[in-house]
Amino acid sequence: MTLIEKYPQEVKQILARYPQDQKRSAVMPLLYLAQRENGFVHRRDMKDIGAMLDITETDVASLVGFYSLYHDEPAGRLRIQVCTDLSCALRGADDFLAALCESLGVEPGGTTPDGLVTVEPVMCLAACDKAPLFQVQTGAGLEYHERMTIEKTLEWIESRKEAAS
Amino acid sequence: MTDRVTLTIDGKQVTVPAGMLVVDAAKKVAVHIPIFCYHPKLGSAAMCRQCLVEVGRPIIDHATGHPELEDGFPRIQFSAKLETACTTLVSEGMVVLTQSERARKGQKEVLEFLLTSHPLDCPICDKGGECPLQNLTMAHGPGKSRFLFDEKHHAEKQVPLGELIFLDRERCIQCGRCVRFQENVAGEPVIGFYQRGRSMDIVSFSEPGFDSVFSGNTTDICPVGALTTADFRFGARPWELMAAASICSQCAVGCNTTLNTRREARSDGQIVVKRVMPRQNEQVNELWICDKGRFAGYHYTERDDRLLKPQVRRDDKFRSVSWDAAFLQAAEKLQDAEKPVFLVSGRLSNEDLFNLLQLADGLGAETLLYTNMGGGDLTGMVGLTSGSNLADLGLGDVILVVASDLQEEAPLWWLRIKQAAERGAMLIVVNPRETKLEKHADYVVRYAYGDEIKTIQDMNKATHKIHKVFAKAANAVIFYGSEGLGLEGSSGLAGACTSLLVDTGHYARPNNGLVGVWQRANDQGAWELGFRPVKDLQVIFDKSEVVYIVGADPVGDGAVRLKKRKPFMIVQELLSTDTVGHADLVLPARAFTEREGTYTSGERRVQRFYQAVPPRGESRPDYEIVAEIAARLDTALEREPGLVMDQLAEHIPAFGGISYLKVSEVVEQWPVINRSELFYGGAVYENTQGLGMQLRPAPVTSFPVSKGKGGLRPKEGLLLAVPVNKLYDQGLTVLSAPLLRERIGELKVCMNPDEADRLGFENGARLRIGLNGNNAKALLVVDPTVPSGILLVPRSMGLPIFEAGMPVLSKVRKKVTG
Repeated sequence: MTLIEKYPQEVKQILARYPQDQKRSAVMPLLYLAQRENGFVHRRDMKDIGAMLDITETDVASLVGFYSLYHDEPAGRLRIQVCTDLSCALRGADDFLAALCESLGVEPGGTTPDGLVTVEPVMCLAACDKAPLFQVQTGAGLEYHERMTIEKTLEWIESRKEAAS
Repeated sequence: MTDRVTLTIDGKQVTVPAGMLVVDAAKKVAVHIPIFCYHPKLGSAAMCRQCLVEVGRPIIDHATGHPELEDGFPRIQFSAKLETACTTLVSEGMVVLTQSERARKGQKEVLEFLLTSHPLDCPICDKGGECPLQNLTMAHGPGKSRFLFDEKHHAEKQVPLGELIFLDRERCIQCGRCVRFQENVAGEPVIGFYQRGRSMDIVSFSEPGFDSVFSGNTTDICPVGALTTADFRFGARPWELMAAASICSQCAVGCNTTLNTRREARSDGQIVVKRVMPRQNEQVNELWICDKGRFAGYHYTERDDRLLKPQVRRDDKFRSVSWDAAFLQAAEKLQDAEKPVFLVSGRLSNEDLFNLLQLADGLGAETLLYTNMGGGDLTGMVGLTSGSNLADLGLGDVILVVASDLQEEAPLWWLRIKQAAERGAMLIVVNPRETKLEKHADYVVRYAYGDEIKTIQDMNKATHKIHKVFAKAANAVIFYGSEGLGLEGSSGLAGACTSLLVDTGHYARPNNGLVGVWQRANDQGAWELGFRPVKDLQVIFDKSEVVYIVGADPVGDGAVRLKKRKPFMIVQELLSTDTVGHADLVLPARAFTEREGTYTSGERRVQRFYQAVPPRGESRPDYEIVAEIAARLDTALEREPGLVMDQLAEHIPAFGGISYLKVSEVVEQWPVINRSELFYGGAVYENTQGLGMQLRPAPVTSFPVSKGKGGLRPKEGLLLAVPVNKLYDQGLTVLSAPLLRERIGELKVCMNPDEADRLGFENGARLRIGLNGNNAKALLVVDPTVPSGILLVPRSMGLPIFEAGMPVLSKVRKKVTG
């Protein structure tokens, strides 16, 4: 199923935002759309987007490669990204990451067996003062969860699990 | 602001145009600032930081606006930090130090940094020996690395970006030259960066991988061994290679090339060609060649079925004979025949053609050019003349391309026209279906097949917008092709184009005129010498006693069907073609790599190629074979190509003034490319063997009035097969390149989706097509850009679409799936 078949309304809305001779600008929102369902951009969606915007598939792919919020490989439905840079670490972010991984039973970068959660350490998320924190993409967009504890995090994961089932 | 500025680089004063970059200005005074990511054809990126230099500028007194003086000299203030010479523009009074302690330290440190993630596998790297990184490391680099070996970056070493180009991820220094070449020069961004920082990586997501006809050029400008061609990979070391200047024989553009050869055990101790490299000619191909020229350039000359000995047919079997016997028989047969026919093609050099012409003159023979495209008599009159260079076209000029898919037929013309359009030239593309050039066009005119001539004639009405554009333009060039057209149609089209050019005054002066998109390297030369095609070759074969066929395969192409009574056929060829199979006397010719000669390009530029490898077997150059036959008829012809050219120049007015000495002249070209500083321009060869020379304008006062019809028109309910040219076809010169097999693929025919629906065919269906009595299996590609009623059939792909001397649009008689 092509992107436009899956989300006809959204695709039309996104395309309408840009003038005809600048339609390549729609590549970013279209990639978010493509990523919404499975948490990563499928190769055939890149091809679709390229064809829609008159740019090469390679051009589309290089954006997926450049921006760390686009993913080209499947992972857990919730990709929990914990900043472990120095100032976050000083507020206990690395301990938080280690504890979170332990309680979920995964290595950093790993995915839980049910395919729900992936935990990844990432570089600066620009919220040092609110560490430990993680960011996660949901259908609603990019969420920041600040001043986290393991309990609060697991609670949130539980709530997502219920929402999903 | 003045348009020229004077600055000092390492104590040498230089005056250059304002707006020049320091790195280029330095080149003018032979100061070679080290670079990796900068390339004079690609512009600045400042990604590698290798070109760090100290830059000082005069201090300007704001009260007077003049430089402050100190002991009578301007006071120079140096920047606190080093500057990148590839992004810094020259300015008046600037002082650049490239060798100061500070500058050298900066350059050294950048190199050390680049080397932290670079494998030191020079001994097995194809680039080793012509590698900018290797050379600059020797010149500027530290002797030892301070970085920890255990932390070295490791990555995949054999990544095919397609089947033609391989990437070594470890060697890549992420300069982006390849990505920028594809984006800015080739205009086909089919490779790109993936990820960032140390993980940054070159990828191609196109189908097939790295889908660009210019892909090979990225391996020349890659400053390390990250990109290599599948053709040359692990083939030889650069320092073992000899270099011979050559001209590409694959199309009418006439790209300047260098053939790299070596003597090797793998080829039984023979000297063989190892690769084709571009050779700089800023008037023709700049620093580039297309992949067809690079990967198919010479392979056909090395086929196992090369003809090695003269042979005669006796009792329906070929027997080898001595050259002497062969010459004698040829001479006797030609003399005894009432009116022998010479059938030649544009594969031959000017020298071969001239000797043939002389011999034919002596015999009273008919001379025919083997081609399916006409109009060369007109390109001889109103073609480009001396002093023309497509690079001069820009704002205020107009270029019109009609009935040609230029990227498929002449990629370098496509590139140069695209660049002219980017410089502001008005580009008008007139074609019955969409082609890649249209993306860069100002106007696209779409006509129906059959309306070619009428369309151009309409444009030549004084009230027509395009006529007005032509009338106003400073310069105008028209490129016409033969898409959907036979001999008659293309002749008529050339006539219509000529009228447009003549009526608006665009001929007989530089950068104005008509260019034929010919199929062969020297078609233009053959026309200039007076060879003319004939509409019905079959009639010629039916009535003639002796036909002397040189460099053509009319039987294999389906241009003639041999009947029981056939003429005595003397065939002079390289390879065992179908025509050779029916020959009575076979004369083995040398390939262009094994001899000297000149070709006249479509832009009417006479360019010289040199011998690169020893001849195979007993083969001899065509001009010499002809001279030997002539000698047995008491006609003395020159046997040295240079002397043949002298004769030619004397006899053919357009060639007046042309000599081997003249075509071998070189002048300084920009950018200044030199193999000893290949970090600047890449592995491309500099041109020391000649830039060629363009023919004179012909003194013409009247032009033939354009007659002739266009191609056939589609009829209701019937499909018309339209011949189109493909870059990678199954012609022997291309098919012999093993690397291109996948790109050539099988016979694919294209039709409109509505048409396919009407006939009940699906995309990818396998069809059996009957055309003029020939049958072939084909894969159907449903393509909305094809007009309805039309079936596109590529030429030279196994289904002959060449009949009676000219292809005409033909009805597809049979359409059966199977």
